[in-house]
Amino acid sequence: MNLFLYLDRDSPVHRLDPRTKIFLLLGSFVAAVLFFQPGPLFALFLVLLLYGAIGRALGNLRRIWLLLLSIAIVSIVSWSIFARGSTPLFWRVTWEGFLYGLGAAIKTDSMIVAGLIFLSTTRTEEIVLGLIRLRVPYQAAFAFSLAIRMVPTIIGTAGTVTEAQRSRGLDLESGGPLVRLRKHIPLLVPIFLHTLRNTDQLAKALESRGFGARRERTSYLEIGFHTADALALILGALTIAVFLVVRFAR
Amino acid sequence: MIRLDEVSFRYRGATEPALSEITYHIRPGELVGLLGRSGSGRSTLASTLNGTIPHLVRGDLQGQVHIGGQDIRAKRPRDLADRVGFVFQDFEAQLFSTNVALEVAFGPENLAVPREEIARRVDRYLRLVHLEALRHKAPAGLSGGQKQRLALASVLALEPQVLVLDEPTSDLDPAGRWDLWAVVRDLRRERALTLVIIDPETDEMGWVDRFIVLDRGRVALSGTPSELWRATATLEGLGVKGFTLARLASAIGVEGEWQDASQAAAAIRSAGWRVKEGAADRLREADAGQATGEVLLEVEDLTHCYPDGTEALSGVSCAIRRGEFVAILGQNGSGKTTLVKHLNGILGPTAGDIRLSGHSLRGQPPTRPSRLVGLVFQNPDHQIFAERIRDEVAFGPRLQGLSEHEVARRVNEALEAVDLAGKGDLDPFVLTKGSRQRVAVASTLATKPEVIILDEPTTGLDHRELEGMLALIRRLNQAGHTILIITHAMAVAAAYARRVVLMRNGRIVRDGATREIFKDESGLLALGLTPPPAVQVANRLGIPALSLDELVGSLTRSPLPPSPSAPLPQP
Repeated sequence: MNLFLYLDRDSPVHRLDPRTKIFLLLGSFVAAVLFFQPGPLFALFLVLLLYGAIGRALGNLRRIWLLLLSIAIVSIVSWSIFARGSTPLFWRVTWEGFLYGLGAAIKTDSMIVAGLIFLSTTRTEEIVLGLIRLRVPYQAAFAFSLAIRMVPTIIGTAGTVTEAQRSRGLDLESGGPLVRLRKHIPLLVPIFLHTLRNTDQLAKALESRGFGARRERTSYLEIGFHTADALALILGALTIAVFLVVRFAR
Repeated sequence: MIRLDEVSFRYRGATEPALSEITYHIRPGELVGLLGRSGSGRSTLASTLNGTIPHLVRGDLQGQVHIGGQDIRAKRPRDLADRVGFVFQDFEAQLFSTNVALEVAFGPENLAVPREEIARRVDRYLRLVHLEALRHKAPAGLSGGQKQRLALASVLALEPQVLVLDEPTSDLDPAGRWDLWAVVRDLRRERALTLVIIDPETDEMGWVDRFIVLDRGRVALSGTPSELWRATATLEGLGVKGFTLARLASAIGVEGEWQDASQAAAAIRSAGWRVKEGAADRLREADAGQATGEVLLEVEDLTHCYPDGTEALSGVSCAIRRGEFVAILGQNGSGKTTLVKHLNGILGPTAGDIRLSGHSLRGQPPTRPSRLVGLVFQNPDHQIFAERIRDEVAFGPRLQGLSEHEVARRVNEALEAVDLAGKGDLDPFVLTKGSRQRVAVASTLATKPEVIILDEPTTGLDHRELEGMLALIRRLNQAGHTILIITHAMAVAAAYARRVVLMRNGRIVRDGATREIFKDESGLLALGLTPPPAVQVANRLGIPALSLDELVGSLTRSPLPPSPSAPLPQP
């Protein structure tokens, strides 16, 4: 089972330079934090979906829809309860509080979707290379890529450990919250120790392949700005300009 | 090329040294096999060869290690990367790129090799390890054997003069091992490379130039394969497996060194040995009495699809009787582990059914079948969590809600069965891998299952630990437990299992008596499997023997025609 987000496909977004995609990602974050109202945020969300469709990355949404939905629900419910407003709806919920919660939900989900599209269309090696060209130190850029790599490894270990303990009769589905939490100790200890050992192995393997041996390093992968990148950056800049005008023109 | 002078090493916090006063020189282009039981210092010695010790592992290093004239103290492993390549047992942890070609490029990139040269090396080494067709694939999607060959290519791309392989085949199936060794042999023909290989399968290491056998951190024995052939008894004394054919030769008192089973069979015949009258029938009769119990587990037309749509099992049917000892064989990815996970309810079937004592497992919570069917996972470290062995073993019984009195009784019984009686208060993590494996078996035993399934129970164990584990499994079988093992170790399957289930691509392709299946060498070969050496010799002599003991017991020496000049033996 593939636990990586990257989708090895050929699309206009895949072919963009990683730096372009980093700029677009940052741009979408900027656009997202500009607003609190659901309207423009929803427009941003649609733009992102279009971007993702061009990058043939929306299939990955299926893997995180539950996360997106729970964030939306938690955000809408909690802001509805805690944010004050002047138009009461029912109990202590106001129209303003609800709208604020809805906006926050779309904002967070937009950022996650933007990140998802980025990771679905960009190899970790490309991200590393892009960051290096943007003057991020190599070690830092590589550490970032290792963090991405560790996620599926840990999920894989967690799956195996859970199966091993369930086959010894561990039943994670019953009991109150506290009991359930305690039941996770037999899972957490092996997962933690296994991950530690794995990291140690990885460090040795990296070192024996010359990681960090030279100040400069070359790259087998080639990246470069092309016409498509210019086009994408112009489109991105225009979109953000539109959002800026909407936000500050009044 | 490699000079070890008076090398000693003690891990920080350890009382005993892991290596003591090792002096050994390895010439350029030599291939050295490093043997020794677990804890003898094999891996520690290997770790000094690229400076992992002392630079990444804490401890006290004495003496001198020079690689190509370079003192390893002066250089970190990364600075030695273009001199010493290192391939580890755990291929998962060595691969971190998103495709095969980038994995190979990673090393040369670190050494700032120009891009055109990197491209050349990527092509060259992927071709060498036969992965050129998979260059755009993600390493995660490769088979175990392919992953280990990729790890090898990615180290070779640094063009080192010395290559250290630390148990590279332990997690591979027979075909995967065979392919890896074929690549290493090609490599040696192509260029002068000094090789140090750690591999416990002595039988597959007959092609090395020299062996070093370590014991308690010292060189206990060293020599050519021929010299080792003659030192079989000494080797066994050091807890290291000797050549099977050498053990055969000494068991029947025939001089000579045999390259393969055919040569061995011919030599045995010409020495006047022949098969005893009725030996084959006696062997078959011994099997006949076993496993006539009622059907305990019934798998019917079982199909399993993973969430991503891959079909891991397609229409598998089989029945396991009470008291049987069954080995499930097949290459990595053939569906063995997926099948056994259904038997204790960890996985549910996509289609088909599993019946336990006649009752369908469909719709049952997994806790119920797991009481009757115990599954010991491949890696004990995936389940051990408690600080005391006693608590670890008590985990299952406590979950069943037994009284503390009963739990204690079962824990003691289980620890007794795995030879860990009296060690209940130790921390499982101070034990060796073999003993941790025993703790895992005890944990399962304590729940008193009728069926015990063991997934690769011998991986990573040394010769003695392996024999101990198998003796334990056999005892459990004799005590009435039904046993299923998944294994790549063909000698284990042959000598212990009375029935073999062969799997391929999610289907059972053969299911029958071990004796009959191991006779059919070409049938096994088609599945990427070969019988162990003793069985190969037996097949060539026409005896259905499954172990060295059975083979030797089936042979008799025909009286040689009396030679007129020879004196008559004195009564």
